[in-house]
Amino acid sequence: MNWRKWNRWLHREMGFLFFGMALVYGVSGIALNHGVARHWDPGIISRSESFQYPAPLQKDSVDRELVEVLLELTGEKKNFKQYYFPNEQNLMIYLRGGHIIVELSTGNISVTKVRSRPLFREVNYLHYNKPKKLWTWFSDLFALSLILLATSGLLMVRGKKGIAGTGGILLAVGIVIPLLFLTIFLWF
Amino acid sequence: MHRILFWVALVILTGACNQAGQKEGESRPEKAEKIVTATIQELVARPEEYKDKYVAITGMVTHVCRHGGQKCFVLAEDGETQIRVVPSGDIDEFNIELEGSTVAFKGTFKVLEPEQSEAHVADYAAEASHVTEMAHSEAEKADMFIEAVDFKEITR
Repeated sequence: MNWRKWNRWLHREMGFLFFGMALVYGVSGIALNHGVARHWDPGIISRSESFQYPAPLQKDSVDRELVEVLLELTGEKKNFKQYYFPNEQNLMIYLRGGHIIVELSTGNISVTKVRSRPLFREVNYLHYNKPKKLWTWFSDLFALSLILLATSGLLMVRGKKGIAGTGGILLAVGIVIPLLFLTIFLWF
Repeated sequence: MHRILFWVALVILTGACNQAGQKEGESRPEKAEKIVTATIQELVARPEEYKDKYVAITGMVTHVCRHGGQKCFVLAEDGETQIRVVPSGDIDEFNIELEGSTVAFKGTFKVLEPEQSEAHVADYAAEASHVTEMAHSEAEKADMFIEAVDFKEITR
């Protein structure tokens, strides 16, 4: 077998084997980017709903009985955990899977329900290497294979579209872009 | 044959990389030290007394950081004082579901040096999500915190 056939075989086999891993790290990579940029929380889905208590409330008048009334009003009685006053203006009621914030002076009630975002929870779990142990081995194997996939990919095509032609230009662009960002944002 | 050799080599190489990584991360803090049970108010009032001690505290978790669960805040019995707790040892992160639960934490009480504290406050101020002052903001800016190595939910 000459080296080009061997290279093609390597690229093909690893491409099939690690397709699933590429999806895991690709999808969670997007989530990570946007999580860092604070645009969006990839791990959770948060939904808010508003209610109104008929009268303003005084901090001193809030007790477990009144909290029960608020829970009844919002339909969250079965989810109650604990409550406290984060400041003089608000009452915070913790729920299983969310919380309620009551603005005491107006009686405005905001119920926020939080749950894990399907798919992202799972891919992030893997991307952050939460399983550890054997997953570390398999993901290391994937990381190593990415380097081999990229390298073998460079050598797949010969001629005008290969590394000596347009492929070489694309290769240079792909290396220059991260270097440009490092130059602008990190090194200077 | 070549193919089999290739896969075997790849697996061995990966194993070698992995073992090197494990050696780097072997140092584990907090062994069988004497546990000092303290209230959150006591820790906050007299940080120098408890500095670097292995402490156990209990309180309601008021907030878990949404970005990776790398800190949470625990409320003292006075209903006002809060302390920052960060994961350490085998704890990777705190789950958002801890909010509103009473949790017992064990870990090392840390007090930052003045220059570290200044850098910490500067980092805090630079975070876009810290524009609004929250009930836990003081604890988040504070130069003291607990590096938790163990925790247990007492009420859920």
